[in-house]
Amino acid sequence: MARQFSISRLPGFGAIALLTFVLLYLPIIILVVFSFNENQSQSIWGGFSLRWYEAAFDNQQVRDVSIRSLWLALVASSLATILATLAALATTRVSRFKGQTIIYALINQPLMVPEVVTGIALLIVVAFIKVQTGYTGMGYLVLAHTAFCIPFAYLPIRARLETMDRTLEQAAADLYASHVQAFRYITLPLLVPGIVAGFMLGFVVSLDTVVITEFVKSAGQDTLPTYMLGQLRRAVTPEMNAIATLFLALSLCIVTLFFLVTSKRG
Amino acid sequence: MSEPQPTPQPEIEITGLSKVFGQGSAAFKALTDIELNIRTAEFFTLLGPSGCGKTTLLRVIAGFEQPSQGSVRINGQEVAGLGPNARPVNTVFQSYALFPHMTVAQNIGFGLKMLGRPADEVAATTADMLKLVQMEAMADRKPSEISGGQQQRVALARALAPQPRVLLLDEPLSALDLKLRKEMQTELKRLQTETGITFVFVTHDQEEALTMSDRIAVMSGGRILQLGSPSEIYNSPSERFVADFIGDTNFLKVKVVEALTETVNVRLPGGALHSARLPDGLRPAAGDDVSVVVRPEQATLGDGAKAHLTGTVTNSVFFGTDTHIHVNLEDGTPFTLRRQNAGNTAPPAPGTMVGLTLADGALQVIRE
Ligand SMILES: Nc1ncnc2c1ncn2[C@@H]1O[C@H](COP(=O)(O)OP(=O)(O)O)[C@@H](O)[C@H]1O
Ligand SMILES: [Mg+2]
Repeated sequence: MARQFSISRLPGFGAIALLTFVLLYLPIIILVVFSFNENQSQSIWGGFSLRWYEAAFDNQQVRDVSIRSLWLALVASSLATILATLAALATTRVSRFKGQTIIYALINQPLMVPEVVTGIALLIVVAFIKVQTGYTGMGYLVLAHTAFCIPFAYLPIRARLETMDRTLEQAAADLYASHVQAFRYITLPLLVPGIVAGFMLGFVVSLDTVVITEFVKSAGQDTLPTYMLGQLRRAVTPEMNAIATLFLALSLCIVTLFFLVTSKRG
Repeated sequence: MSEPQPTPQPEIEITGLSKVFGQGSAAFKALTDIELNIRTAEFFTLLGPSGCGKTTLLRVIAGFEQPSQGSVRINGQEVAGLGPNARPVNTVFQSYALFPHMTVAQNIGFGLKMLGRPADEVAATTADMLKLVQMEAMADRKPSEISGGQQQRVALARALAPQPRVLLLDEPLSALDLKLRKEMQTELKRLQTETGITFVFVTHDQEEALTMSDRIAVMSGGRILQLGSPSEIYNSPSERFVADFIGDTNFLKVKVVEALTETVNVRLPGGALHSARLPDGLRPAAGDDVSVVVRPEQATLGDGAKAHLTGTVTNSVFFGTDTHIHVNLEDGTPFTLRRQNAGNTAPPAPGTMVGLTLADGALQVIRE
């Protein structure tokens, strides 16, 4: 009897798997470990301490950029989720139309266009508007992040709509619900896990992005990632490790929540 | 043969209805020239094999599909352009389509809530419905927490709660096991009689159709082939398809020897003469070759001299209450007869020559 094919029996599988995990996680582990280092070295362990965390919390700049990052992620992913929900409804709850595939591609543009290209394009437009209007507020970042987050929010919402049993909406209409009522009482409640997942994905993406922010921000509009990048160009202290570790923990929490929400059976 | 037409307005009146899906070369005609009057408070069944257009016809009545041609009137009102939510019709879906995020009680009350009825009325009617389908104990469960048979009852209660004029049921029992199905058949019939609501019931199960319906429309290929009471459909099938689809049937080729007003006299394969009934609108002349059908219980093993048909027994199959005896007629046509076991002796052994006697009125001429 031939044994079932299994990739784990291929020669070298174990070694490659191990190498992959080391590459993925070793740098992160080192980063986290040295965030608790007593002295300022990134390579010599001087004992456990929370001094770099204290330093980070005491640093007014860190607090400012963190709050700006969270605020921006919240606003942008909220807007993106609303727009993505509308787009998902428009692309799944109408009869098939010509050019539907093109619409999908257009909505998902940020997934395909290199981030740096989007960044440069935004930079040019933003610069033009700045010159014309003189406005230099957070509006540019909000718009840029919103646009960038839409496809990430759109994908889980659309997936949820496509797998939803359409006869449920028909049953609602049969039971005298108007279009609005059928949406309010049937489609929307069943869509909530998709919307929450879309929001969280958008939130993480907005929190993470460096390139878009770097190109679009005006002076004094650093987000946490662009601030860290700026600091690293000068001196690397374990304070950065501490900030990075906290940032990592936050992202992990959101991603875990995302998996909990999406794997919960509706 | 046709019964007196009722003078009151039909509950549902369908005229010249056709439904085409798709366009151009991909166009598919799912319904062709449907003419149908469904009477108030009757148990009406659409019977036909899978893919014959039963669901499509229900969906047109419910308002989920627009007819390509023809009109649908419900209680005298033309419903073209009315959405499903504006028709006094409720559907029990084949998949039940219970709202998974609502409790049993919320599902049942949904229709009344959408109609804007006050909360106390919704609660009272929901309680009545729960009682009607014996689901009081499950009111606060979610659909995923009850069995298939219970989901079926909830779907029924949900559709009945707004007291529609017509209830449309799309193969509601097909997902249930045999025992539960029999129970629900009785239950449905009881509910229909109690509520006086017109039921339009879809099934591909001929036995279910025969036992439950006041009238049956037999469908095939998007057309209605025959419409009548269960006994009319069973005893006087007008077409080969209907005779074949409903019950077991023997087909015989015969020659018309004399055409009377309501019947014809025909010569059977062995030469014997017998009277045969005619379907509406078919008037064969003397000398025509026609096909007739005979139900297996209409023939008895008889005396060779008086027999209408003779043949050789090929085998017998025991079915408990009765035995099916398979015979090859002299010209080679297979023929099955059904004999009650009570009081009868053992069936004749294979190879035995037997005579078959046909009951009066056993023969029905069919359209090919
Ligand atoms: N939306 C549709 N588009 C194209 N063809 C359809 C559609 N709905 C049904 N049909 C076709 O119409 C025919 C009748 O379908 P249906 O009414 O569901 O049959 P039944 O309920 O009797 O099994 C089938 O051949 C089916 O493939
Ligand atoms: Mg069907």
